[in-house]
Amino acid sequence: MNGREHDVVRTFIDLSDRLVEDFDVVEVTTHLTEECAQLLGVAAAGLLLADVGGVLHLLAATSQQLRTLEVFQLQGEEGPCLDCFRSGRPVSVADLDAERDRWPRFSAIALEEGYASVHAIPMRLRDEALGTLGLFGTSPGALDEEELAIAQALAHVASLAIVQQSQALSAGHVLTGLQAAVASRRLLEMAKGVVAESLGIGMDEAFTRLRRYARLRDQRLGEVSYRVVSGMPVQRAALLAELADVADPS
Amino acid sequence: MDSRGAMRLELTAAMAGPGRGREAADRLCGACVSLLDVDGAALSVIYDGAISRSLGSSSSVSRELDELQFTLGEGPCLDAVRSAAPVLIPDLNDPAMQRWPGFARAATQRGVRAVFALPVAVASLPIGALDLYRTRTGDLADSVLAGGLIAAELAALPLLDLMDLDLQAAVSDQDSDAWEQLSSLTRLEVYQAAGILIAQLGVTPSEALVRLRAHAFAHNRTASEVALDIIEHRLRLPDDSTDDPTPAEDGDYR
Repeated sequence: MNGREHDVVRTFIDLSDRLVEDFDVVEVTTHLTEECAQLLGVAAAGLLLADVGGVLHLLAATSQQLRTLEVFQLQGEEGPCLDCFRSGRPVSVADLDAERDRWPRFSAIALEEGYASVHAIPMRLRDEALGTLGLFGTSPGALDEEELAIAQALAHVASLAIVQQSQALSAGHVLTGLQAAVASRRLLEMAKGVVAESLGIGMDEAFTRLRRYARLRDQRLGEVSYRVVSGMPVQRAALLAELADVADPS
Repeated sequence: MDSRGAMRLELTAAMAGPGRGREAADRLCGACVSLLDVDGAALSVIYDGAISRSLGSSSSVSRELDELQFTLGEGPCLDAVRSAAPVLIPDLNDPAMQRWPGFARAATQRGVRAVFALPVAVASLPIGALDLYRTRTGDLADSVLAGGLIAAELAALPLLDLMDLDLQAAVSDQDSDAWEQLSSLTRLEVYQAAGILIAQLGVTPSEALVRLRAHAFAHNRTASEVALDIIEHRLRLPDDSTDDPTPAEDGDYR
């Protein structure tokens, strides 16, 4: 096996291990976007999920910076990810600057953020479009056939994770699962706001601490987020003190 | 546009009109009956899983049934809020569904055979429920359930507005833009900023969103713009909501 094959195998083994456990959908899909960016050598990756009304929302991304999130979030209105979702086919933009007129608002923000190429991969369950996996490179260039196949396989894994999480909900309905996944991202953003403001740290660091704490305590990211935003003041203070102390493993 | 996108547009359009809060809640419930395949709809707000009131309904029977659940302390609406998940009861008389004997009896007496309770939530945190009633038994079709879930999402707007009475009094309606309002609850920066308000003001998540939206309405700005100012620490909202509403609305720009 060459280096990449080895990494691909390791990534899929790791993801399948996580999916047979009681997982948190935002945590698992965040991990998936990180692995995807690393395997394919792209600067940023993000998952956009459609709600029951067919509007795309950000579920997970490799960066927590609001400006990067905006590059994904904006595609609820226009962009290669939205086109990919609507057509059900991959959309590859090897040189965004050359095609900026296709999506004027999106291109302006993405180029300003330093992105030069975009690849959007569809997520689906049978015939139903679920969302899009978006990959952003800082230099122009296309993905080769093998890279596209890896991205599509990761998008399938993300689709299965979301569907599996839906089964766990009481109504057991994919529609309610989509709604719940979108809502859990909003809950996480609220928790990031509380932690960042209380500890005087950035949103990236707030996310890292919430995640690390959840992993150390073997709790779901969503449960920790819930306790951060809606706990009684005393309990919240205790939890924030623990988050302040979460040791950096590096 | 696909059918669900069209449904979202129709429900949003039906909710728009004069008066936020209770009037918008009534319009949304009416739209559920005319656009979805159900016979009655009611929207209720629930505090701490117990104290509740009915805010909007399509008919007096729907309202009565919602209020009855609070009186009895049992019913699908309360369960939907407690579990933060839809409670779908296609046949109220099915012995397997006899979780709420008092409610089931009262509903049956009023000709209701099936009830579908959908939680209304802000970022996964339930603040109320949208109850859909039917006079016949049977599951909801996927398209109807999808429409109900969209309506439950839209229902967060009148619920949040009703949590802030000053806001209701202060805001005139001619500028209301249902799309901007709806998108104010889909933008991630709004939730980050609400988190910052929770930390700064010691308020609940719903109150944080109410305060943010109130400030945006009062200053004729979008919730997203206000959120970015809060995140960048260019704006700090005052930390006493019981102050005289006029200066309290202003916030402190630096």
